[in-house]
Amino acid sequence: MTTPSTVTGQTRQTSQRARRARAGWGFTSPFTALFLVFMAGPVLASLLMSFTDIGSADIRNPLGVNFVGFEQYGKLLEDARFLKAAGNTALFVVLGVPLTMLAGLLAALGLNSGLTKFRGLFRVGYYLPVVTSIVAISVVWRFLLQPETGLVNSVLGLLGIDGPHWLADTSLALPSLIAMATWRNLGFLMVIFLAGLQAIPQNLYEAARIDGAGWWQQFRYVTLPMLRPTMLFVAVISTIGYLQFFEEPFVMTQGGPLNSTVSISYHIYDQFGFGNYGYASAMSYVLFLGIVALSLLWFRLLSSRDDR
Amino acid sequence: MKTWMRFAAVGGLSMSLLLAGCGREEAGTAEGPGESIADGPAEGDITVWAMGAEGENLSVMADAFMRDNPDANVKVTPIPWDGAHDKIANAIAAGETPDVALIGTTWMGEFARTGGLDPTPADLIDETSFFDGAWDTTVVDGVSYGVPWYVETRLLYVNKDVARAAGVDKPAENWEELADSVRAFQEEGGAEWGISLQPGGTGAWQTVMPLVWQNGGDAYDGDQFTFDSPQVVEAFDYYRAFFSEGMSPTDLPEGSLEPDFIADKIGAFVSGPWHMGVLADQDAADKYELWHMPNRQAATSFIGGGDLAVFKDSKNRDGAWKFVQYLSQPEVQVEWYAAAAALPAVEAAWEDPVLAQDPYLAAFGEQLTDAKSPPTIATWEQVAAELDSGLEELAKTDADSTEIAGVIQEQATSIGAGD
Repeated sequence: MTTPSTVTGQTRQTSQRARRARAGWGFTSPFTALFLVFMAGPVLASLLMSFTDIGSADIRNPLGVNFVGFEQYGKLLEDARFLKAAGNTALFVVLGVPLTMLAGLLAALGLNSGLTKFRGLFRVGYYLPVVTSIVAISVVWRFLLQPETGLVNSVLGLLGIDGPHWLADTSLALPSLIAMATWRNLGFLMVIFLAGLQAIPQNLYEAARIDGAGWWQQFRYVTLPMLRPTMLFVAVISTIGYLQFFEEPFVMTQGGPLNSTVSISYHIYDQFGFGNYGYASAMSYVLFLGIVALSLLWFRLLSSRDDR
Repeated sequence: MKTWMRFAAVGGLSMSLLLAGCGREEAGTAEGPGESIADGPAEGDITVWAMGAEGENLSVMADAFMRDNPDANVKVTPIPWDGAHDKIANAIAAGETPDVALIGTTWMGEFARTGGLDPTPADLIDETSFFDGAWDTTVVDGVSYGVPWYVETRLLYVNKDVARAAGVDKPAENWEELADSVRAFQEEGGAEWGISLQPGGTGAWQTVMPLVWQNGGDAYDGDQFTFDSPQVVEAFDYYRAFFSEGMSPTDLPEGSLEPDFIADKIGAFVSGPWHMGVLADQDAADKYELWHMPNRQAATSFIGGGDLAVFKDSKNRDGAWKFVQYLSQPEVQVEWYAAAAALPAVEAAWEDPVLAQDPYLAAFGEQLTDAKSPPTIATWEQVAAELDSGLEELAKTDADSTEIAGVIQEQATSIGAGD
C-alpha cells in the first residue's frame, strides 16, 4: 500500500508531464498540421499511386483504379528512354560531383591562402552563379554555346579552332551541361570548404612544419583528413542535387539530341505530363531510393572511423 | 517503437480503406450527344479560360456578346499556354472548372476521356459549317465534345529570290517535283539548304504526319496503330531523304531560320500562318510565296488550332453553350480574325473580303479544305513524343526507315489508345 502523499506526488508529476506534452504539441501543431497535409499526405498518396494504374482519365474518380502491384516498377526495366535517362543521370553524377568538389576545393584553397587582396571580390564572383536563377543561367549558356554566334566558339575561333555545335552533338551535349553545372555550383561548395578550412587549427600546420612537412604533405596529412566532415556534407548535398538535375536539359536541350541529355527527373516530368501518374510515381520512388543509396555510400566512404 | 506502431496502424488502416474503394469500373457505354439547351438569351455568369493571344483579346468578343444578352456576364481569364494543360486537368480533377475553356485540338481525346467535358448538344451547331478536319478534332469515340474555334494549317514558305535563281517558276505539284525543286534551290538557287524541315524533336510529327496522309496512310485505324504500314515507311523514306541527301539541316541553331531564309541561305520551310507575321516584322513580307502541300494520293496538310469546350461541372450550361454558339457564327469569326488574327474555323467566314482578298490568307483557306488532325485518342501526346524521337533518329542517324517505323509501332502499341 502506498501512502497518500506519494500518490498525490505521482499524479502531480504525471499531470505536469501531460501539460508539458500538451504545450509541446501545441507549439508544434502548426508545423505538424502543414507537414501532414502537404508533405506526408502527398508522399503516402504517391507511394500508393505507384502501385496502381492511375492515369489522367481517372482524375475525376481517383479511387476507381486497379492495384497492379509492382507492375509499374517492372515496366521501368523495359523502358528504353528510362534506361537512357538513368545512364545520363549516373554520368552526370559520376563526372559532375567530383569535378564540382575539386573545383570548389581549389577555389577555397586559393582564397584561403594566396589571394588575400581581392578575397571579397572573388568570393562574390564565385558565389554569384549560385544565387542566380538556374533558368536564367541556362538561357544565357544556351546563347554562349551557340555554334556561330556564341561566345565560346567565337573565342575558339580567335585561336583558329572551328568550334562544334555543342548542344546539338550527342557526345558533347551532356558534357556541356556538366561543365555548366560545375561552374554554377562550385561557389556554394567553395563557401562550405572555406569554412571547413578556417576551422582547422593553425597549430596543426605549425607542428607539421616543425616536423619538416612540405606544402603537399601538409595538404595530404593535415588539410584533407581535417576536411573529412566537410567533404561528407558537400558530397551528399551535391549528389542529391545532381541526381535530380532537370532545369538544365529542360531549358537548354529538351532532352535532345537523341535523348542524350534526358535525365530521370526529366523523364518523370514527361510521364506526369502524359498523365501516367502511377508510372511517374514509381519512377520517383526509384530515384528516391537511388538518392538514399548513394548518400549511404558517401557516409560509409567519408565518415570518420570512430563514427562508424 | 510505440510511435512507429501507431504510424503503421494509421497507414495500414488508410491503405485498407483505399483498397476497399478501389477497382476500375468497366468502361461505360459511350455517351450520346448532349441534351438540348433552353431557348432565349443567355443569363448569369459565364466564366471562360483562354490561352495566349486568344485569352488577351477574347474580352472584346465577350463585350459584344453581353450587348446582345444583357443578363449574361462573361468573365474571361487569360491563362498562359505553358501551364494550361495541367491547369485544366487539375480543374477537372477538383470539380472546380470554368464554364467554357479553350482546349488545344490535340488535348481533346485526353480531356474527353476524363468525363469532364460536356457532349455538344445535338441541335446547337451545324457541324457541316466547319472545315471537316477542324470538326474531327472535337469528335472522340463518335461523340463531339466541343466546337472548333479557330484553326491553323501548314504550307510551304518558298523563298522567291532563290526559286527565281533556280529557275523554278511554279509550285511543286507532287512529291517528285518538290524534291526536284528543293534540290534546284540548293544546287542552282544558291541556297545553303534547299529546305528546312524540323529534324525530329518536339512537334516534328506535325511535319511528317501530312506526308503520311498524302501517301494514303494514317497513324491509327480506330482499332490499332498503323505506323509499320508501307505507306508510313514510304513517307518516312521521303522525309529522311531530305536529310540524308544534305538538303535540310539537322542542327539549325534556334532563331536562325528567319534570318537565314531572308539572307537566301534557306530555300523553303514548312510552317503555319504565324510566320506571315514573323516575316512581315522583319520586312520580308514580299520575300516568299506560299505553296500548297504536294500531292501524292492526296495533298493533305496538318490542321491545328483550338476548340471551345463546356465542362460537365459548369454551373451555367445553357449560358456557356450559347456563348460558344455565338463565337462560331461566321460574322463573329471574321470579327475575331480582326481582333486576334486567329483564322476562322467556319468555312463561310472565308468568303468575307478581309480573308478572301489577301492572297496569302486565301492560300491557307484553300489548304484548310484538305487538312487533317491526328486521331483523338487520349494518349496521342505520348504517342506523338515517341514519334518525334523516332523522327529525330531518322533525320540524324542512318537508321533504317522500316526499323524505326517498327520501333514506333511497338512503343505506340504498348502505350495503347487509352481506353
